[in-house]
Amino acid sequence: MTAKPANPLEMIAYVLARQIEDGEVVYIGTGLPMVAGILAKKTHAPNITLVYESGAQNPVIGDMPWSVAGPYTWRKSPMILEMSYSFGQIYNGYVDKAFLGYAQLDMYGNVNTHMIGGDFHNYKNRLTGSGGNNDLSSLAKHLVLVGLQSPQKFVKNLDFMTSVGYLTGGDSRKKAGLVGDGPKSVITSAGVYDFEPESKRMRITSLHPGVSPELAQLATGFELLKPAGEIPVTPVPTQEIIDILRKEVDPRGVFTSMPS
Amino acid sequence: MGKFNYDKEVLANLRIDEKDLPRLDRLIDYDSAREAHEKKSHAAIDKRVSLKEAISEYVKDGDILADTGFSYVRTPIIAYFEILRQGIKGMTSIGSPATNQSYLIPFGAVTHSHWSYCGAEMRGTDRNMSRLIKEGKSKVVAEWSHGSMALGFKAAQLGIPGVYSKQLLGSDMVKYNPFVKVVDNPMKTEKDPCVFIPALYPDTAIIHVHQADKFGNAKIYGPLINDAAIAAATRKLIITAEEIVPPNSLRNDNKGVVIPFVYSDAVVEMPYGALVGAMPGLYYWPRRLWEKIMRYWAFKEGAIEEFYDIFVVQCKDQYDIIDKFLGGSKWMMDAKRLTKAEEYDNEDDGVDFHYKEWTMNEPDFDDIKDYK
Repeated sequence: MTAKPANPLEMIAYVLARQIEDGEVVYIGTGLPMVAGILAKKTHAPNITLVYESGAQNPVIGDMPWSVAGPYTWRKSPMILEMSYSFGQIYNGYVDKAFLGYAQLDMYGNVNTHMIGGDFHNYKNRLTGSGGNNDLSSLAKHLVLVGLQSPQKFVKNLDFMTSVGYLTGGDSRKKAGLVGDGPKSVITSAGVYDFEPESKRMRITSLHPGVSPELAQLATGFELLKPAGEIPVTPVPTQEIIDILRKEVDPRGVFTSMPS
Repeated sequence: MGKFNYDKEVLANLRIDEKDLPRLDRLIDYDSAREAHEKKSHAAIDKRVSLKEAISEYVKDGDILADTGFSYVRTPIIAYFEILRQGIKGMTSIGSPATNQSYLIPFGAVTHSHWSYCGAEMRGTDRNMSRLIKEGKSKVVAEWSHGSMALGFKAAQLGIPGVYSKQLLGSDMVKYNPFVKVVDNPMKTEKDPCVFIPALYPDTAIIHVHQADKFGNAKIYGPLINDAAIAAATRKLIITAEEIVPPNSLRNDNKGVVIPFVYSDAVVEMPYGALVGAMPGLYYWPRRLWEKIMRYWAFKEGAIEEFYDIFVVQCKDQYDIIDKFLGGSKWMMDAKRLTKAEEYDNEDDGVDFHYKEWTMNEPDFDDIKDYK
């Protein structure tokens, strides 16, 4: 029996997991970041500590949590922090990486999770709002953004700026008073991106198998910068890792089964 | 001129007019909060009352109500249903998250919303909230991040006017939050923008706990979220407790005792008071029921009336929900087994977490039935 290759969501979870180095403290948002954190811990990075915005931290890893305050986020945790202290540890330098989702993302890595279409009072859809999104992007040393890629999601102008990445590029993030280095990379269904060091504009790092630079650009509402030379292909997960993902990390496909 | 100095542009962005200002003021009015704390009895007296009495005495029309727990983990949802039953109107909801206002707004209980996060995580956006805000059933009075709001409650608990912090800067949220101000760090020689977050004082809060004594000392197991801070800040506090224990029990084992009795105005014995959500250590979510809320009652236009009919009219209390809709004692045992296995206090090897997701085709929300 040949197993199915990784679907786009599983691919995202795998590439995101690869961002984590062993020994790190990683701040986890709901959704694919949870899958990636648990996958990393079960594979190449067994000594990482997962931290959640509910204040839950360092659980004995189990299955996929139903909520960021659900028992799997604090299963046998030595301690659980209050919410204010949980964000405080990021500002104070104890969190190595933070993973965040987006509904819209612009070329400077600024994020919208508030509303789509129209304006503040007359929108098409109101979304979840910030939650911990703004806190993490304002404070984290190393931020990784994760989500699907389409012209509706990679937009020229955000409908609302929930969280600041590089604001208007250059040193505008620092001037606004924010701490941390801003988003280091973006991981999507099409590829992996970073930000060009001077302009802070989004740039292709690698594209997933079968995705051409033209296709990536078609799925983007702003101009993507390209690296010098040939664009690398993102490595795909081995069958062993896909098995761990499907059997142990998200066996019910809560976050990694494709919507039908 | 009012007591507080709000940015006019921010008020205009939010379309907040003069008549809304007293409602805003009370949240940051330290003087009146201190006065309320001074006036309540500071004696260790028996504060036990029924849920009905507690809500009617300590939750009033127009109050700023703090949402506690985390969305649907250790949240006093049964008490919120009683708020609907008593027809309390015109409150402001604040909390991180503040997801429970979604069913309080349609019936006029909440008319003003502090927004931090509304949704059901993996179950997605709350369509009901999106509609209600757009239709003007509730007015958003401030956009918050979880961390910034948590700091406002924490400042109140610490007994300080506010804190300087580093989130929100540069984002659109500072344009839609009249309570935060961008200011310079006075100690730095170089320009160092910070955001000032004032101490936040809700009028009333209900906190669901694992154990309380009759005086209102309260013990919580699992994530505390902002509840120790909210308990210290709020003008009025109702404790709903899974069980009432003798005071000596909390003296003998004080681990997890986070609310001192002097904050508490009323103590209500209320097993299963966090239904329709989950309670750490005690019971797991009724998952199909929760999915029906997110996928139907809070999703489909008009379906929220049915929600009211079931949880406020047909069910007079949490036992009615368990007996009439969840499967009675079998659900109780199953919910206990699932949470204890997930927390690894029970052996989890062999405990089956599978259930069938709720759909319109199988609208019964009893999740212990065998749907195979």
